[in-house]
Amino acid sequence: MERLDRRTTLKLMGMGAALLAAGPRAFAQQAPTADQLVRGKNPRLLVLSQRPVVLETPYDLLVTQPERTSKEILFIRNNVDLPGYNTVEGASLEGWKIEVGGLLDKPFTLEARELLALPQTEVAMVLQCSGNGRSLYNPRPSGNPWVRGGMGNVTFRGVRLKTLLESKGVKLGEKALFITAHASRQGGAPEFVRSVPIHALENALLALSMNGEPLAAVHGGPVRLVFPGYFGVNNVKWVERIEFADAENTTPEQMPRYRVPVIPNTHLPFLPQEPGSRYPYSFTNSRPNWLVNVNSFIFAPLEGQTVEGPYVRVEGVAFNDGIVPIVSVEVSTNGGRTWSRANLATQERTFSWVGWRTTLLLRSGQHEVMVRAWDAAGRSQPLDGNLAWNERGYEWNGVMRVKFNVA
Amino acid sequence: MDKRAYFLALPLLGLLGYLALGQHTLPEGPGKDLVLAKCQACHDIGLVARERLSRDRWDAVIEEMELQGLRLTKEEREAILDYLATYLGLTPPPEAPPDPGAQEPRTGAQVYAACSGCHGPQGEGNPPNFPPLRGHVEVLLKAEGGREYLALSVLFGVMGRITVLGQTYEGVMPGFTWLSDEEIALVLNHLASWGAPQGFKPYTPEEVKALRAKALTPEKVLEARRALKLP
Repeated sequence: MERLDRRTTLKLMGMGAALLAAGPRAFAQQAPTADQLVRGKNPRLLVLSQRPVVLETPYDLLVTQPERTSKEILFIRNNVDLPGYNTVEGASLEGWKIEVGGLLDKPFTLEARELLALPQTEVAMVLQCSGNGRSLYNPRPSGNPWVRGGMGNVTFRGVRLKTLLESKGVKLGEKALFITAHASRQGGAPEFVRSVPIHALENALLALSMNGEPLAAVHGGPVRLVFPGYFGVNNVKWVERIEFADAENTTPEQMPRYRVPVIPNTHLPFLPQEPGSRYPYSFTNSRPNWLVNVNSFIFAPLEGQTVEGPYVRVEGVAFNDGIVPIVSVEVSTNGGRTWSRANLATQERTFSWVGWRTTLLLRSGQHEVMVRAWDAAGRSQPLDGNLAWNERGYEWNGVMRVKFNVA
Repeated sequence: MDKRAYFLALPLLGLLGYLALGQHTLPEGPGKDLVLAKCQACHDIGLVARERLSRDRWDAVIEEMELQGLRLTKEEREAILDYLATYLGLTPPPEAPPDPGAQEPRTGAQVYAACSGCHGPQGEGNPPNFPPLRGHVEVLLKAEGGREYLALSVLFGVMGRITVLGQTYEGVMPGFTWLSDEEIALVLNHLASWGAPQGFKPYTPEEVKALRAKALTPEKVLEARRALKLP
């Protein structure tokens, strides 16, 4: 297509204005940008919801920070908004209290600032909304239409929950099988509660900082209970109460929300739901979105890009729940008939995402590259992610495909 | 110049227009006001407007919302489900009814449906989350700068702690920028009908348009409120 000259541009602008004026409501459309909703956020973030605040990182922006996702571009999925907390600045620790109770011998209440005096631990981890990739399901499930920008790789620093319990000389009861965390309800915020299995205690962290800075208020500051390897929803922001319990809590965030179908009375394997149908979620026929499943993403080339050939560098990241290492990442350029292995940055066990890269010899023209990761437990990703279709569109981990041109 | 550019640009502009219009508005149809009133008490209406679900799955969504605290009578539930399944279903919604009533200008009371979910059908409020408007609006309109603040709060929302008639509220009020200037003026005048100072001049769409250009954040609107001399 010929380049548009100035006059054409002006005419088009005039036409655009006329078109907008034609609809009486058109001028009224002034959806706020991300930085207007949350102070300090990159204005390019996609506003999926203003209330509660839900912002997605555009994929091309996400890949510009392949090591660590900064607070300016990190996605937000709030179920609850605390008034005054819509900023990437830290929130004050002063006066923040955390109650720890339930099935333990000595329940206690803690001044959050006491945490500063305890040994600090750091963990790099993937924070991913369990709805990430939802838009790729067909038919479209209900909920925020995430594409792939509902994730990031961040470093949390704080006090291990285990260390805190030890410092207080507290012992857990035998029936303490779950950790239930409650978010603050200040400002009349609705209730938000999540439960995770007790083995999450191994790595649980009361995070006070993220990426070396005070934890952003909008991301749960001053104190967020973080479970490395678990989907975002479990990492309760603005944590106010922690309970050790013998069962999952029964609030809507645990049931029916944030669950996927399973064979009744088991937690595995996955029982696919008929796409488009309704599912009668119960505690016995579904499981919560807990551990992150194996996933991999192509950071370069990007969809539709034109790159120099014939040697094309293809790279990206892969991750799992951190229980075992990612042991291989494979790419295919022939629709999945054959796969070749990429180089992995590490084969250590990690909650962080792991970089991978490979160089492909490609003739000029259009190509499609696919990627899938494998971990040491033999887990991988389905070629067709729609196999796991579920009503609310959680836990997409279908093989990613990118079409690009080689010059 | 290249004529093809026009042909390429037209559908694009149309699409952009459609996306802009489609973002926060619900299609006209019976039950729309009830949906606005019930859903917006807790969340952005955009979450509803962009869904396309079967009747069965809308039923599941309502069920989930009831678990989250939504209270509906049997009739309200039926009306909401009918609306959602018809206008936000899997098949294209029917044409807007040729009913001449639909062409008539909306009234302030109709626009107020968007507010009643939180502030109550008669503006009575719902403590401790949502402040009353009856009585409160009158106080605002009597204060210096209160007239402008009231319009700004409807346009851009308010976030942070406020005290209304002796009680503290700390919720988040969303902005309603997606309403037209006319609709905002209508609803403001509806609020003023519950009590306004002597000689109150009705809001006009032009006045709303001028305020809209300020493009404030909800926190800035709170600052504007703090600057008022309220009793």
